[in-house]
Amino acid sequence: MLEEILSVQNLTKHFAKKGIFSSSRTVVKAVDDISFSLKKGEVLVLAGESGSGKSTTARLILRAIEPDSGRIFFDGTEIGKDSKSLEKIRMQCQMIHQDPYASIDPRMNISDIIMEPLEIHKIGTKEERKKMVLDALHEVKLEPAEDIFYKFPHMLSGGQRQRIVLARALVLKPKLIIADEPVSMLDVSIRAEVLELMRELQEKHSISYIYITHDLSTARYLGQNIAIMYLGKIVESGPIDEVLLNPKHPYTRALIDAISDPDPDNLFREKKIGKY
Amino acid sequence: MTFISVENLKTGYETEKGTVQAVDDVSFALENGESIGIAGESACGKSTLGLSIMRIVPDGNIASGDITLEGKSILKMSKSEFAKNVRWKDISMVFQGAMNSLDPVFTVEEQFIEVLKQHRYNGDYKQKISEIVNSVGLTQDVIKKYPHELSGGMKQRIVIAIALLLKPKFVIADEPTTALDVLVQAQIINLLKKLKKDGMSIMLITHDLAIISEVAEKIGIMYAGKMIEFGSAYEIYKNPKHPYTQALLKSIPRLRGDKVTNYIRGSPPSLIQPPQGCRFYDRCPHAMEKCKKDPPKFKTDSGYVSCWLYE
Repeated sequence: MLEEILSVQNLTKHFAKKGIFSSSRTVVKAVDDISFSLKKGEVLVLAGESGSGKSTTARLILRAIEPDSGRIFFDGTEIGKDSKSLEKIRMQCQMIHQDPYASIDPRMNISDIIMEPLEIHKIGTKEERKKMVLDALHEVKLEPAEDIFYKFPHMLSGGQRQRIVLARALVLKPKLIIADEPVSMLDVSIRAEVLELMRELQEKHSISYIYITHDLSTARYLGQNIAIMYLGKIVESGPIDEVLLNPKHPYTRALIDAISDPDPDNLFREKKIGKY
Repeated sequence: MTFISVENLKTGYETEKGTVQAVDDVSFALENGESIGIAGESACGKSTLGLSIMRIVPDGNIASGDITLEGKSILKMSKSEFAKNVRWKDISMVFQGAMNSLDPVFTVEEQFIEVLKQHRYNGDYKQKISEIVNSVGLTQDVIKKYPHELSGGMKQRIVIAIALLLKPKFVIADEPTTALDVLVQAQIINLLKKLKKDGMSIMLITHDLAIISEVAEKIGIMYAGKMIEFGSAYEIYKNPKHPYTQALLKSIPRLRGDKVTNYIRGSPPSLIQPPQGCRFYDRCPHAMEKCKKDPPKFKTDSGYVSCWLYE
């Protein structure tokens, strides 16, 4: 039995929405009593449409926002408000955001970008840090790493930028990476390349991933287990092939129907949009 | 009858380092009622092709070639004639990043009126707007709203509706589904299918070959400014000829069937002084000596392919 790296129990976060001029309040149940757990080296896919609470879940795990209720255990420690547990999760659990054009500072060069987390967590001396950055660049196959080191983000393509983001996450040797739509902004041909790289790194360092996406076809490529979210709740979960090839919940079915495969016969049929 | 044809079109951009030949000798033709999908990686020239047909690229950037719509050249027309009679009336465009192309300080209605005024529409504005909003599957209450009050999918529909206002025959849609949720994507696809049924031709520009299969009868694959393969959708999907087309199809992660996905190693050449010969040479698994010479367009059953393998 593999050890558990992350366990989320009855996590809840509601946002109160208030108009600027009106006094009426509505409550958005962004995350509503969800529980799941993740084993070491496992890839869990969180899937659902926009607004289903996927990204809020990620932010709750990293405590970027406070949950209303529920508990989070990371690598045997409960994550609370104390600085010790916060330091632990923010060092060993890293995040990759969707848009590599927005998630790296255009005025910093690549070495500074990747070195920043090391500086924040006060790891290593200057020389050691430099070596760690170069190692991370080699890991994500940005060659020649020595040249890339001094470049600025605007000199790199979208795929290369996303590798920089991945290198920045890897440099702290995390146990868990939360990737929020990491390939949806990339070209189809580069998508597969970045996913392949993520999978290689996972096998090599037995990193666990939470892969957040609305695109089930890339989900199947990377994930082992999947949880489908809808309106803040997990409506279906299980091994990925089982869920995707034999979906039970009508919402899962609707998500699957929405995806096109490249098939010329598509031309002659209307797309099914399921009711759920 | 030929509906629209593009012949040997060359469009470039002047930069300090030299001319970027974004569209290099591209040809294709569509029959009445046909739609085309243009696929390729970022920076392969697919958007520039769309902009050239709309004549939005600065004068002089279209170096050579011709574009004809129903037998009439739209490149030889004067600028003012094109603006008056063709742009938006015959050919319109849904721009990339359409969700951000609405002006945030005007209501949806005002943005519609701007287009109608610009093209001197004589008729009831209110009725026209209400009709067009209906036709893209939105309710009447969106007309008085500001863009920030609408969801991504609704904004995309509004932008499509603006393109449809003057009932064009040909609509160029540049990445209309990218950055949208899969469920909203499916709705937009159905909307495009409906427009086709009403007799409109669509040019769908995207890097997603799966989306193209939903609307296009013809497909053009672009690589580094060249259209390296053109043909019927059936032929491109079932029997792709160019090694790049084959690789592109293999790189798509699929939900059903095989899990194995391959990607294309390397990156496309610079479009400033691109290398002689086939531009896919460095990345092609079948590269041979002959490929160092420019491949001509070899005829296939439904189009052409630019590859020495089919000499």
